[in-house]
Amino acid sequence: MKKLVLLFTVGVFTILSCSKNSDNDTSTSDFAALEDSVIVNFVNKTAIPGYEDLLAKATTFNNVVTALNSSPTEANLTAAKTAWKDMRKTWEQCEGYLFGPVEDDNYDPNMDTWPVDYVQMDSLLNSSNALEIADIEGLATLSLRGYHPIEYILWGTDGNRAATDLTAREKKYITSLTIDLKNTCTKLRDSWITSGGNYSAKVMDAGIGAQPFPTKQSLFTAMAAALADICGEVGESKMKEPYDAQDPNIVESPFSGNSTTDFKNNIVGAYDVYMGTFLGSNGKSLHALVAAKNLSLDNKIQQQFQAAIGSFDAITMPYEKAIISQRGLCATTMSNLVTLKGSIEDDLENFILTNIKD
Amino acid sequence: MRIRKIYLAAALLASPSLLMMCTKPAPFSDEEYDPRLSGGAATVFDATSKAFGNVIPGLSSYDQHVHDLGDNSVDQTFVTAPATINSGLGPIFNNVSCRSCHHNDGKGSPTTGTVTSSMLMRLSIPGTDAHGGPLAVPGLGLQLQDLAVFGKTAEASVKITYTEQVFTYPDGTVTTLRKPTYTFVNPYTSLPVDLMVSPRMAPPFFGLGLLVNIPESTILSFADENDANGDGISGRPNYVYDASQQKMMLGRFGMKANTATILTQAAAAYQQDMGITNRIFPQESTFGQPQMDNLNDDPELADSLLNSVEFYLLSLAVPARRNTTNTDIMAGEKLFAQVGCSNCHIPTIQTGVDVRYPYLSNQRIHPYTDLLLHDMGDGLADGRPDFRAGGSEWKTPALWGVGLFEKTNGTPFYLHDGRARTLEEAVLWHDGEAAKVKGKFTELTAGERGQVISFLKSL
Repeated sequence: MKKLVLLFTVGVFTILSCSKNSDNDTSTSDFAALEDSVIVNFVNKTAIPGYEDLLAKATTFNNVVTALNSSPTEANLTAAKTAWKDMRKTWEQCEGYLFGPVEDDNYDPNMDTWPVDYVQMDSLLNSSNALEIADIEGLATLSLRGYHPIEYILWGTDGNRAATDLTAREKKYITSLTIDLKNTCTKLRDSWITSGGNYSAKVMDAGIGAQPFPTKQSLFTAMAAALADICGEVGESKMKEPYDAQDPNIVESPFSGNSTTDFKNNIVGAYDVYMGTFLGSNGKSLHALVAAKNLSLDNKIQQQFQAAIGSFDAITMPYEKAIISQRGLCATTMSNLVTLKGSIEDDLENFILTNIKD
Repeated sequence: MRIRKIYLAAALLASPSLLMMCTKPAPFSDEEYDPRLSGGAATVFDATSKAFGNVIPGLSSYDQHVHDLGDNSVDQTFVTAPATINSGLGPIFNNVSCRSCHHNDGKGSPTTGTVTSSMLMRLSIPGTDAHGGPLAVPGLGLQLQDLAVFGKTAEASVKITYTEQVFTYPDGTVTTLRKPTYTFVNPYTSLPVDLMVSPRMAPPFFGLGLLVNIPESTILSFADENDANGDGISGRPNYVYDASQQKMMLGRFGMKANTATILTQAAAAYQQDMGITNRIFPQESTFGQPQMDNLNDDPELADSLLNSVEFYLLSLAVPARRNTTNTDIMAGEKLFAQVGCSNCHIPTIQTGVDVRYPYLSNQRIHPYTDLLLHDMGDGLADGRPDFRAGGSEWKTPALWGVGLFEKTNGTPFYLHDGRARTLEEAVLWHDGEAAKVKGKFTELTAGERGQVISFLKSL
């Protein structure tokens, strides 16, 4: 009998403790301190490390391609392809916080313009242009620069090019293109750090009335909007367009067959921004802010992120093939992304407007 | 771009009607409208860098689909023909996609010749074409294409230099304005001595559907061509030839109200800015020039795609105002009217009815424009007539969203050529018909001038 009462009491307390943390578990000053640490952590554990890592990956990529240029072995070609995918992974994840200099100063199209301009590339490779970095920088269109022309040359249209097939001009061209990538990543990293453009300070100054984030609310709204945007970009545009048209030609990264991975990494990056776990880091993030006041919303967002990311794993082929052979799985993923986007846009942004008043 | 819930806007619209239910039916008084709803029901609450890219709430699923197709289309980077997708760039062009110039569905930077540039040069020589429009320059056409695909030659590149000039307020406050000069470098053909050049920055995309739906009679009611009321402000409509409708129409778009319809605006941008031929403009921009491509692939742009872009531009919502109850902003709004800014930047207009688009119909909107031409003085003059617009006349630009350029653009730039780095500089460039009003602005105290700027930033 006693045991039963005790069990009952524990049960009641459990129920009580569960219901309690739905609202105002945290005092106002604690919450304000939490806001500040989320901002600091976003800068120091997500944004800057993200771009640092991207620069490191770009440097490796350039080294590997330089080696391929002087010694076109199969091993070196494989290493170049791996380095391309490694860099691509960090880049796609960094798209989880696509605001600030990357947008304002157009670093994104500098690296990631799609589609490839084959006609121009042929005339460039067949010309007497020296293909040095200065020549690359002087090209009129970005469709001749960045990830995708390199991808086209490394993999070829059928995805399995031999190292011996690479021409001297092609090797020279992609070597300069990787220098160009490295230069862009250097500028992007510098735009955030104190010794460079110091965009960090603008983020850290959120709430003092200065542009671009006069209030902390406006910064958190921008962070949430960036999360929603990337879900929309993947679920309503990059995946949906080729899916609707059933046209593999519209799919990005077709040569490497990396499209599904690219899309997944976008959402992994967004999830890591939300959780404060970007590139394996660990810091206070939007997740902590939401959990402090509304556990069920935090749970919902986490579950929807996990569902969306998990549904990518069900797609077992490159996206340009999946839109023909695994349409149901593609549709499920897009639907998960749209649901997630809706929760971020409605619930998370509402949470920010309601709870972050400074 | 993003779908926003209509609930808040709907609730705000509904609340006055609830109040009125108990009284005799009569028009609402001004106080009963929510001043944040710059686009009426076609307003969205978004003050982020993506504020200009939201769809009007409540579109049907079909309309939403067409909007989304247009949204994707304006993002597409074009490449040299022949190509499996996005074929037809150039051979000469100004940029490679719509959004390259219209950054975040807004404007961009006042530079030329790079992928991030948002400015182009309109050209002509004295005289008029068959429809009374500007006369094309032999070998160059009506617009300078300052980029070319690899192996081709750009028409010229443009060097922009700025001369600083000091402006002193009556109270002694000093500020610096910068006046641009444009030089053509390495033209591929000789430039005529009487060449006329008009620099133009890419304008933002949103709210155009509402501007289309302002009745012509309303716009004409603002006109005062002979200044009958003696306020020094005339205001003239431009009438232009529209290539899609193939007739003369009232101009609503373009810096000199030199375009009548969204469709013609978009189609001309595809053909002139990117070199993408389409059903409205099926000839390459290089037609009759030595660099004309001889591919038999025109029109390069699918009709469905052009139509979706037209609808996309028609169905982008206006961002709501912020901080409308702030006392400084409210004071600034009063001063804006008192000094006379609102004589041309008309605050409130009622749209007409178009049964196809209920969300654009009968809306009480706050565009802050009369869509008319005004002589803005020598400082801003381009000296290049465009249909009825003279060399120193410009269309009053809409001011909605003007306070968000700091967000959408990173660094904001104002006026037709982006010379103004702040809203204050933009005000100070006003001259000609606006000289008197500008004068009154400069005579305000520094605090009051700040209130006017705060008001503008709330738009």
